[in-house]
Amino acid sequence: MKDHRIGRLGVLQRGLTTASLALGLLVMTSGAQAQGALKVVLPEEPASLDPCDTNHSANSRVLRNNVTETLVNIGTTDGNVVPNLASSWSQTAPNSWRFKLRSGVKFHDGTPFNAAAVATALQRAQSETLNCAIRGSKLGTNAYTTKIVDDLTLDIVSRDADPIVPYRMAVVDIGSPAATPGDKKTLTPVGTGPYKLERWTKGREIVLAAADGYWGDKPAVRRAEFVWRGESAIRGAMVDTGEAQLAFGIAPQDATTLNDKAYLNAEVTFIRIDTGVAPFTDLRVRRAANLAIDRDSLIGSVFNKNATKATQIILPSVNGASQALTPWAFDPQQARALLAAAKRDGVPVESEIVLYGRLGLYPNATESMEAVQAMLAAVGFNVRVEMMETSAWLKKLLKPFSPQRQANLLLSQHDNTQGDAVFSIGPKFASTGNQSTLTDPALDALIELGTRSTGTARRDAFRQAFEHIEKTVVATIPLFNMVGTMRVSPKIGFVPDVNTNNEIKLRSITFR
Amino acid sequence: MSLNQLLQRVLQSVLTLIGLMLVVFVLIRLTGSPVNLFLPLDASDEMREALTAQLGLDQPLGVQFGRWFADAARLDLGASLWHSRPAAEVVLEALPHTLALGAIVLTLATLGAVVVGALAAFRPHGLFDRLASAGSLMGASVPDFWIALMAVLLFAVSLHWLPTSGYGGAQYWVLPVATLVFRPFGVLVQIVRGSMIAAFTAPYIRTARAKGAQNRRVIFVHALRNALLPMVTVAGDLAAQLAGGVTVIETVFGWPGIGKLMIDAILQRDFAVLQAGILAVAAVIVLINIVIDLLYPLIDPRVRGQT
Repeated sequence: MKDHRIGRLGVLQRGLTTASLALGLLVMTSGAQAQGALKVVLPEEPASLDPCDTNHSANSRVLRNNVTETLVNIGTTDGNVVPNLASSWSQTAPNSWRFKLRSGVKFHDGTPFNAAAVATALQRAQSETLNCAIRGSKLGTNAYTTKIVDDLTLDIVSRDADPIVPYRMAVVDIGSPAATPGDKKTLTPVGTGPYKLERWTKGREIVLAAADGYWGDKPAVRRAEFVWRGESAIRGAMVDTGEAQLAFGIAPQDATTLNDKAYLNAEVTFIRIDTGVAPFTDLRVRRAANLAIDRDSLIGSVFNKNATKATQIILPSVNGASQALTPWAFDPQQARALLAAAKRDGVPVESEIVLYGRLGLYPNATESMEAVQAMLAAVGFNVRVEMMETSAWLKKLLKPFSPQRQANLLLSQHDNTQGDAVFSIGPKFASTGNQSTLTDPALDALIELGTRSTGTARRDAFRQAFEHIEKTVVATIPLFNMVGTMRVSPKIGFVPDVNTNNEIKLRSITFR
Repeated sequence: MSLNQLLQRVLQSVLTLIGLMLVVFVLIRLTGSPVNLFLPLDASDEMREALTAQLGLDQPLGVQFGRWFADAARLDLGASLWHSRPAAEVVLEALPHTLALGAIVLTLATLGAVVVGALAAFRPHGLFDRLASAGSLMGASVPDFWIALMAVLLFAVSLHWLPTSGYGGAQYWVLPVATLVFRPFGVLVQIVRGSMIAAFTAPYIRTARAKGAQNRRVIFVHALRNALLPMVTVAGDLAAQLAGGVTVIETVFGWPGIGKLMIDAILQRDFAVLQAGILAVAAVIVLINIVIDLLYPLIDPRVRGQT
C-alpha cells in the first residue's frame, strides 16, 4: 500500500514553501512604477522647506527649481548668470539693478508672479527675526530694498554699491506672498516651479506633484517622492531593488556598480594653514607642507578616483578663479631642504602641529588626514591629527583665534555654486575675514578692488588675489576638487552636474 | 502597592525628572552654542550676537533654566531652531514610532524567551538546552547593525522578499523587528532558564509532580510564575533601553524614531529638541519602572507586603 504520509523532509519543504509564499505576499510591488513617478533617496531629511532657507543643501535639493524658483540661475559650465523668472537685467546705477520679469507666470495658488512678489520675498529673506539661511551669507552685510517700476519691472537697490546683484538673486527663492507668512517660517511652500508640494510627512517623505500651468516645459516626472536614509549602502540598495530610481550621496566604498555616476560637485577640499603661528609664519615651511603631499597617491585610495587636484579653493569655472595656477608637485626632497633651511634660521620646525579635521566632512575624512599626517611626518614635520565634530571644529575655524593657540592646520571644504569669487575670498582670506589667519594689505586691496569692479577688471583682480594667496603667501594646502556619486537607475535618464549637491532638477529627468 | 505609595512614587519621579532636566540643561550648554552651527560660515559677528540674544543664550544659566522651567510648566518646551516648530511637536512625532517598535520587539522577545527558556530549563544540559544557550548567547552578542545590513542584503536585495527600509505597512516592520529581537531574546532566555532551573529544585515542584501534574502544568504554571520576577526586572531594563531609541537600526532602516532625532539634535545643538526628547524618554522610563513595580506583587503575592 502506498504510504501517503509525508516525511520530515516533506514537512520542512511544505513549511518553507508556505513561509515564502506568506512573505512574498508582504512584498511591495516596487517594480511596478506608476507612470511618471520617481523616488529619490537623500542622506537626510530637509530641516526646512521655507524658500528663504535654501542656503542649506538639504533644503535646496528638494525646493530649488522644483517647487520654488529664483530670478536667475547660474550656468553649470561657465558660471554665468542665466535667465529664469527674470528675462533680463541691467545695472542702472552703481547701487541699482533693474530686472524685467517673465510674464504669464503664476504661483501654485494662483497668485500672479510679479514685481511685488519679488519685493516681498527679498524683504522677507533679510528679516532679522526669521533667521533665514541666506541672510548674512549670500546677501552679505549689504541691505537691499526694492522699487516697483511696473508689474513686471523691479529695481533692486543696495545700500552699498553691488556689481553682482544678479548672482545674489540666484539664491533668493521666491514664494507666493499670499501663502508665505512674513513673521514665521512656512512648512508648506508655494512657488512657481514645475512641482507643487503635495505633502510632507515628517520623518518619512516629501511628495511633489507636477504643477499644472507651469510656465515652462511639462516635465516627464509627474510625481516625485523624496525619502531619506542615513546609511549609504541602504540608499544604493534601494535603487538596486527598484524601490527608488535615484540615490544621492553614495560613499566611495559602496559605489561599486555600473549605475553609480560620479560628478564634480563644486566642493573643494583644502587645508588652511594658520599663518599666524610659528613655524607656519615662515613661507618656506608653508611651501614644504604643500610639497610633502603626494596627491596622486590619495586619489583612488582615500579620495574618489575621479577627484581632480585642486589649485585654489574654488573651481576654475567660477568667475575670478585663476587659470594659471597649477597643482603642487610632490617633492619630499625639496620639502626637507626647505625645512632644513628654515630650521637653520631659527624657525621652530620641530614644534608640534595639530591637524584639525572634521568628522564626516566627506567619506574617508579621517583616513585622508591620517595619510596627510604621515606624509608631513615623512619630511620632518611633527604633526598629530585631531578629528572633531562640527561644533568643536567651528571653534577652530572661526575668529576669534586664541593668542595662545598651537601651530595648526585645519581641514576644510568649500563650495561656490554662486559663480563669483566674492562669495569665497573675503571671509577666508581678507584680514577682516572671520576664517582668515592673514593680515595682508596687498591682498586686502585686491579683494576690495575685485568686489567693487565689474567685468574684466573684477575677474582680473580676483584672479590676482588667488594667485597671491596660493603662490605668494601659500595660505592653504589645496587638495582636491571633490566628486560626488549618485546611483541612477537605468530606467531613467539623469546626468548629475556641479549644482547637483544643491539642486536635484526633477524636470531634467527622463524615463527610458 | 497602595494608592498612597503610588502617589509617593509618582511624586518622587517628578522630582527625579526635574533634577535630571537641570543636569541636562546645564550639560548640553557646556557643549557649545548652536549659533555657529545654524548660521552660515560667513555670517557676520552682528548676526551671531543677535541670534545668541534671540535664543536667550547670553543670559546666565540660572535665568535660562528658570525661563525654560516656567515655560515647561505650561507645557511649552520651546521651539526647535532647525525645524522651526515646537520641540514637543517634533519629539512627539518621533517617539511613538520608537515605542511601537520597542513594544513589539519586547513582546516577541519575552514570549519567545519564556517558551524557549522554560523548555531549556526542563532538561538542563540536554540537546535543546545546549542549542538554546548557544543561540541566545549569539543573539545577545552579535552587533545589531551587522544583522540589519545582512538582513537587507539577503531578504531585500537578493531575494526581493521585503523592502530595504522605510516605514509603513506590515512589510516594513519585519526586518527592523527581526533585527532588534535577537539581543533581548538572547538575554531573556538566559534569565528565564536560570530562574527556572532554580525553581525546578523547589519542594513545591516535587509536590506538584507527586500529585500527578503534567509536565506542561509543572513548567508553565508552577515553576514559571515563580521564576518570572527576575525576567520582569530585566525586561523592564530592556524596555527602557528600547524606549531611548535604537539609533543604529533607525538609521539603517530609515525608521522615523527618536533615536536618530536625538543624535541629529546633539550634532546640531538643537537644545529645545534635546531637552524635550530627554524629558519625554525619561518620563517613559519612569513610567516603565512604575509599571514594573506594580507588576511585582501581582506576580508574587509575597512581595505585596514589602512594596
